[in-house]
Parts: sequence; C-alpha cells; structure tokens
Amino acid sequence: MAGQAGGTPSTYSPSPTTRKTKSLILRNDDVDWVRTDGREFHQCRPAFFKTGAVNAAAGSAYAEFGNTKVIVSVFGPRESKKAMMYSDIGRLNCNVSYTTFATSVRGQGSDHKEFSSMLHKALEGAIILESFPKTTVDVFALVLESGGSDLPVVISCASLALADAGIMMYDLVASVSVSCLGKNLVIDPVLEEESYQDGSLMLTCMPSRYEVTQLTITGEWSTPKINEGMQICLDACAKLATIMRECLKGPDSALEE
Amino acid sequence: MGLPDSSGGFLSELDVDAFRRLFPLQFYESHLVKSKRPDGRSLAKARETSSALGAVASADGSALVKIGSTTMLAAIKMEVMTPSKESPDEGCIAIEFYMPPICSPIVRPGRPADTAPVVSKQLSDTILSSGMINLKELSLISGKAAWMAYLDIYCLDADGALFDAALLSAVAAFSHLQIPVVSMNDEGKVVVVSEENEGGKEPVNKEKRKLTLCSIPFSLTCILYKNYILADPTAEEESIMETLVTVVLDSSGQLVSLYKPGGPVLAYTSAIQDCVALTRQRVRELQTILDEATAGMEVD
Repeated sequence: MAGQAGGTPSTYSPSPTTRKTKSLILRNDDVDWVRTDGREFHQCRPAFFKTGAVNAAAGSAYAEFGNTKVIVSVFGPRESKKAMMYSDIGRLNCNVSYTTFATSVRGQGSDHKEFSSMLHKALEGAIILESFPKTTVDVFALVLESGGSDLPVVISCASLALADAGIMMYDLVASVSVSCLGKNLVIDPVLEEESYQDGSLMLTCMPSRYEVTQLTITGEWSTPKINEGMQICLDACAKLATIMRECLKGPDSALEE
Repeated sequence: MGLPDSSGGFLSELDVDAFRRLFPLQFYESHLVKSKRPDGRSLAKARETSSALGAVASADGSALVKIGSTTMLAAIKMEVMTPSKESPDEGCIAIEFYMPPICSPIVRPGRPADTAPVVSKQLSDTILSSGMINLKELSLISGKAAWMAYLDIYCLDADGALFDAALLSAVAAFSHLQIPVVSMNDEGKVVVVSEENEGGKEPVNKEKRKLTLCSIPFSLTCILYKNYILADPTAEEESIMETLVTVVLDSSGQLVSLYKPGGPVLAYTSAIQDCVALTRQRVRELQTILDEATAGMEVD
C-alpha cells in the first residue's frame, strides 16, 4: 500500500465494489419489476448514429445507446501486411479496444479480448471481400464509455462506418442482444442487467436479406425462450437498420459535431 | 488553375489534387507567397476550437476538445492512495496520452505511434511544472490517504497540433472535475458517501469538491519554414514542413515551457519571439473558450 516516490503507488477506487443495487433487480419469479432506466422489457434504448466522426479515416461512425458510446474508424482498402500470404480476395482486420475510463473501475476494459474476433466474424459474411483483392480493410473500434450491450453497438456502428468508407456490402449489419433475467427477456440490457443475467443471446443479422451472420447464446436457455429471444432480436435489428439507413441518407451525415 | 511555376506543359496539365500530392512543398509555397494556406486560413490563424465538458459520465471530470479536426477526449478518474513519507499531505496526478488506432491511418494495433509517449511526457511536464494544481488540495487525511488523479487523454482524430489539443482537453477536464465526497470506513478504507447510506460516517472532504486552478497553461504549436511561421498546423502541414515550435504560456502570460524538437530549420531569436507573441494572442482566445465552456456547465 505504501506509495513509493518515483514508482506508481498502488491505488484503489473509492466506489463501493459490492453493489447494493442487486435488490433493485428482482431475480426471482416476480414478473413486475421496473428496469432501472424505466424502459419496457422489449424496448431498446434510443439509438443515435453519426457518420464521419473521424476525418483521418476513410470512413467512420459514432454510436450512442444510452451510456454506451463507441467510435469506429475504417481504413483502407490498403496494402496488406508484408508477411501476409497472397490472397485473391480482400482481408478484413478488426480490433476493439476500451478507453481506461470506459468502465466504472479504471482499466477493466481489457477483459474483452474476444470482442475483436467476434466483430470480425459478425462482419465478414456481409462484406463483398472479392471487391478489394490483395488488400486489407481495417476496422478499429474504441469504446469510449461502456454502458452495457457494448459488442452489439460496436458491430452496428462498424457496419455503418464500413458503409461510410464505401466498402461494398451485401447489406448493413445490425446487432441486438437480449438478457434472460428469471422469467423475463430484456432487450438491449444495460451493464447492471448484464451482470445479473442468467443467460444472454446476441444476434447479428442483415435485415433486408433476413440472414443471420452471428448468433451467440450463453447461459441457461430453454428452446421456446431461444425462439422468443431470436424473434425479438430480429424485429429489433430491422428497426435498428432503418435508423442506420436514415443516418446514411440524412443531410447531417456530413456535418461536424 | 494557374500555377505560379508554370514551368512547362507537364505541370500545367496536372490537376490541383495530383499536384498537391506529388509536389507538396511547391504546392504549399505557391500558397505561402500569397500569405494564405490551402484551407483558407492566414498564416497566423488557428483553427476553430471548441470544448465541451462532461462528455464521459463514468469519469469524475471529462472534456471533449476539437481544434479543427483534431479531437481529444480527456477524462479524470479519482482513486485513493497512501501518500509517500516525504510528502504526507500531497496527492498525485498521473497523466497518460493515448493514440488508439482509430485516430490516424499511421497507427495500427500493436504498432503504436512514436509521438504518443512524447506528447504524454510533455503533458505531464507542463501540467506538473506549471503549478496549475496545488497537490496539497488532493490530500484527504494527512499521511493516510490522498487522491491519485488519473488523467487519460485519448486522441480520437489526429490532424496536427496534438499537444495543443491534448493540453486544452486536460485543462478543461480539470476545470470540470468534481471530487466525490468520501468518508473513512471502519477498515480504514476510503469510500464514496452515497445518498443511500447517508448518516453513516462523517465525510472527510465536504468542502473540497473542486480544485482551484491557478496559472492555467495554454499552448500554441507553430511551424517554421523558411521565413514563414504557420500557427496551429494540420497533420498534412506537419508532415511536409517538419520544424515545430511549441510555446506554453500560463494565463498571466508567463512562459511555462518551450519545445523545439530539432527539425531542419534553425530558429533565430526573432522567430521564437514571434511564436511567443502568437501564443500570447492564442492564450486569450483559449481562455475565452474555456470560460465559455465552464459557464455553460454552471447554467445547467
């Protein structure tokens, strides 16, 4: 504990680590509880998208769902790394990182190492890789603030950034997750709901083609629940894609700030 | 588009964009002789600057700053540490500057930008030596507990003058900083006093929610090229004309630091004096921008 001059003294966050809010979310069979932000169980947070957030990139997008805020930049198509083998089709390279202040305790964002490859797998089916042979498209995401459902927001935002960069895709990719809390399915969960969930389902799809590019199910699920969850996600993805499309068409897409 | 050096059919046939890419120096010189820059600014003019406080809800203090396209997001997280024996009633500030791969095509994951650690060092040198923050104000209980302020600055869009934008965002984040009210619990740990468990322990820092910022440092980076001085360069200008001078002055106009990290142009005293004069003007602009941002917060 002793702080040494010159070295970095060990520090701790004064915020209570054991949350007392657990009682707020009733995990038992009680059906009537209210979500912390007052939403209905099947209601998503208001989504905000903006393209052209980073001028240095070929394409970029900023997404804000409640407290979840992410920026995605797309670079390329550009020369592949020297060590790469020859490839007839293009390559997709994805990376997701967190800011140190994204989480309530500083520097916890590095736990999400798997997000980079999950983003890659969610997008690769939607991109026409044949349209940029021998080159690489880089998709880099930075989570500015983590507020729950981070990966679905990153995926949707990334597909918008790809569209902004003019990368050919079969369709926009929209992603939504649901959490299973007791008997209830809650869509677009916030951090708190995610930490008490019994199971989670994340669905990534191309809504106009009605094709799923990625489906992740973890935790306890019954078959009818999975069907219900998937249907909720598909409907929400379709709605999300309309908002994303509006953002691409909108007159404010080229505006600053 | 009549080029000033129409030295033959080849050059005049090039369109402007190709000329800009192939002969960047000539392209810039053709503008500089007219005392204009390609983006329409005069040589001494800085780009439009804006600052928004409280951009990150999960931090204790934060600010988003834009100078032209260059965007910086700074956030402060307060943690508790045991102060060192030499200075039992002083807190600490840890400053880190990041250039994530989203900010520029030259940064890739696993291959960080060379400039990030340089800016990081300059920032902590400037902020700590300017005396802007009295470290004694970060003390909680003498010898037992003090604040460690983690200031992390992320470059979201890199388009030149990174240090200027980063310093402004750092200063703005400190002016937005709201220190949480804490108390000492039975185990000797410092915990946040929340609304729920009011009436527990007596808070130790009820009056010390804000830091007093005195002599705030502001900076301006200039490019020296031949006899020209270009204030607040873009990334393109920085890559073409490599000699940079960064002057940091505090709000009372005193010199805090001056960087001239090499470069092919050797500066005369007069050039440095011109840079300082330009910075003096810029400090007033930046002070107004910062004041407006803080005033906007107080209204809310």
